[in-house]
Amino acid sequence: MSLTGRFALLVALGVVPVVIAGTAGAPAAWLALVGWLALVIGAGVLDLSLAASPRRVALRRELPDRVRLGEPITAVLSVENLGQRMLRATVRDGWEPSAGVAGRNRRRLRVPPSERRRVTMQLTPLRRGDRRTDQVTIRSAGPLGLWSRQATLVSPGRVRVLPPFHSRVHLPSRLTRLRELDGRTPLLIRGQGTEFDSIREYVRGDDVRSIDWRATARHTDPEVPGGTRLMVRTWRPERDRRIVIVADTSRTAAARIADEPRLDTAFEASLLLAALASHAGDRVDFLAWDRRLRGRVHGASGPELLARMVDTMAGIDAELIEADWAAVPAQVRRITSRHALVVLLTAADSPGTARGLLSVLPQLTSRHTVVVASVADPALIDAGRARDDLVQVYAAAAAERGLLDGERVGAAVRRLGALTVTAAPLELPPALADLYLELKASGRL
Amino acid sequence: MTASLEAGAPVVTPTVRAFIRHRRTWIVIAAVLVIGALLVLAIQGGARQPGAPLAPDNPGPAGAKALVEVLRDHGVTVTEARALDAALDAADGTATVLLYDEYGLLDDDRLTELAEAAERLVVVEPGFTALETLAPGIRFAGAASGPLDEVACDLGPAESAGSLSDGQRLVTVDEGAADAGWEGCFRDGEFGFAVANGPSSAGGDLTIVGATTVFANETITGAGNAALAIGLTGVTDELVWYLPGPADVDAADAPTLGELTPGWVSPVMVLAIVVVIVAGVWQGRRFGPLVVERLPVHVPAGETSEGRARMYARTASRTHALDQLRMGTIRRIARVLRLPRSADVDQVTDAAARATGRDGASVHRLLVGALPANDRELVDLANDLARLEAEVHRTLDPRAAAPRASGSAHAAEHPDRDDPTGRRP
Repeated sequence: MSLTGRFALLVALGVVPVVIAGTAGAPAAWLALVGWLALVIGAGVLDLSLAASPRRVALRRELPDRVRLGEPITAVLSVENLGQRMLRATVRDGWEPSAGVAGRNRRRLRVPPSERRRVTMQLTPLRRGDRRTDQVTIRSAGPLGLWSRQATLVSPGRVRVLPPFHSRVHLPSRLTRLRELDGRTPLLIRGQGTEFDSIREYVRGDDVRSIDWRATARHTDPEVPGGTRLMVRTWRPERDRRIVIVADTSRTAAARIADEPRLDTAFEASLLLAALASHAGDRVDFLAWDRRLRGRVHGASGPELLARMVDTMAGIDAELIEADWAAVPAQVRRITSRHALVVLLTAADSPGTARGLLSVLPQLTSRHTVVVASVADPALIDAGRARDDLVQVYAAAAAERGLLDGERVGAAVRRLGALTVTAAPLELPPALADLYLELKASGRL
Repeated sequence: MTASLEAGAPVVTPTVRAFIRHRRTWIVIAAVLVIGALLVLAIQGGARQPGAPLAPDNPGPAGAKALVEVLRDHGVTVTEARALDAALDAADGTATVLLYDEYGLLDDDRLTELAEAAERLVVVEPGFTALETLAPGIRFAGAASGPLDEVACDLGPAESAGSLSDGQRLVTVDEGAADAGWEGCFRDGEFGFAVANGPSSAGGDLTIVGATTVFANETITGAGNAALAIGLTGVTDELVWYLPGPADVDAADAPTLGELTPGWVSPVMVLAIVVVIVAGVWQGRRFGPLVVERLPVHVPAGETSEGRARMYARTASRTHALDQLRMGTIRRIARVLRLPRSADVDQVTDAAARATGRDGASVHRLLVGALPANDRELVDLANDLARLEAEVHRTLDPRAAAPRASGSAHAAEHPDRDDPTGRRP
């Protein structure tokens, strides 16, 4: 049960009869007060008894299953009145605050008996993951709008909010560069990482060193008797390499750098790399790992790969536990026993936290090509530059210490045979994609 | 889906009946507590001892039950009066009246009326009005300095008491009063008397006792207190014990607040309270249960660096902090000047000195040697490092107008290295 503002106003209006009666004397005023209160309470009770039951209501939701972070969706809630009376309802849908309901999350409705009305809400989710609503609260007012009945009904709803994949803006330019390497633009340069593609006729501009003389000898020119056509060999980059992306979801991933958690940057970089590699014909597997497997995408290819990756990533948040790097080689081995490009998305910025990573790197580098990608904090570089007063100088010294630590870890990682990519949050995904293209071009996959 | 629509959505909110059934235990406990509290209040309110000072039924330290009981045992009829009318009725011209007006409730008319009705009047700890009305020549003289044993008068009860305990209050008797027949008993040196006796303005016998000490349960046994108290109050067979109460408040003089305001003001105030409660219920009723937001853990990444900076500052590790800055500067200069990763500090120092045209010793001092003695020097050195680094950068900038000879040699070492076509050998 609840009261309305109208009822409060009605009670307050009692001042008129009380004052009028008060001119005749205090007892009359008291009598008027008691009479007025009895009147309004009687009206309220009558109103309440005439209100439709908020319990006899059926609810149905129409929700999109998935949405990319930052995009709006329309959530529809159908309210059907199963009772015999007119339902004058205020409906509140219990979405989480981060579901981003536009405006107030309550609507007024009038639902005649046995009819159905739709409540439409615009949602713009603010965070990745599953955004939920568990209940709908209905307040049913009487015909006078004085008192109302209230009930909360179970009506679960869920929207899976996928990572935004902002870094997809870098994809076209990287795909262009990939095509330059790819079979569609056959290379005339033979080298590591390429495989034989075809033999075609020489055209002006081709490198004379790529002329295949044996093929030339076999191809007689029908137009020039006795002559031969010059044939060149073309090459294309290797295909069907394996790429294993391991995203570290431990406590270091919870750090927020330049207003983006490390984990989100790691996801962006993974998505860009996966999109690029699947276009290049490589097979991509994704692992999210801290002390246990938080998510895994294995054996998917093409458009399905990205769809499954964003779906897996949506529900993963960083946890405040230390990563167990010792089990990572086993996890990689479960995916492939062949040579692969293993990309470790983690925070290699201090010797203390990177010790576990450094201890297992030799196991990985002996078998695979390993890339350690980590996010650099641009705030450290800024802090290192400001040296106006003592406080700033100490801050600059601490920032320099942080940068030096990062470089030391990077050097240690490189000494163990792995490659490193370190960049600011917005630059890490394209930097990792560029490194991949470089590796592909040089045949180190 | 249609089937579930027919059934309606499951409801979380309990019905009133379910709510009562579910919370029955607590409702019963609350009801028992409320009823118990009311019972205790009722019993306590009826049986509680009135705690007023000098009340004849108060056995507490400030009460006077001891004296009253002793008098009753000896056949004195003690009548308790809480209002003037009752006191006048009981006094009836022959009884002794004891008046203790704690709050000064009686005005002069009533005092006079009382004095006229009482044959003998004992006024305990009189107020200013009472003294003015009943005994104009008697004045207050403060508290006594200690126990009093100088009787100084021939009043019977005083002589039989002989002495009084500590805690008396004094009055003085001026000459006019003395001429009118007043005498003071229990002198405290030059200061005054604890008891004064004389004819009242209405003609009866009036005794003024400065303090309640003489009658109170706690102190009545001290010195001759009891003898004086019994002597003053036990003279006649009837004693009226008059403690003015609320009924004696003079209410006739001014109109009350209630009479001044119109009749509707109080009802409107009650109505306003009701409106506030109703508005509170209207706004305070929650629209369904709270929704829980599951928040992920996010840690600002700069905290490690900030904490380290504060640690440097607190321990004033100037040299250590400066070394960090130096290492960073040396590393960047080495990178800018394309020195090998293995280059040691001296090589970097020499290269930087050549590039900037500075004196080698001063650059070495800045990059390695100098120790900051105080905070000022630390800040200066830090800024010098930044300046050196900027200078090295400037010498390598192709837009710089005239690169120095030594600097240009380094700049020439790395012409555009990448093939513009992007091809690789």
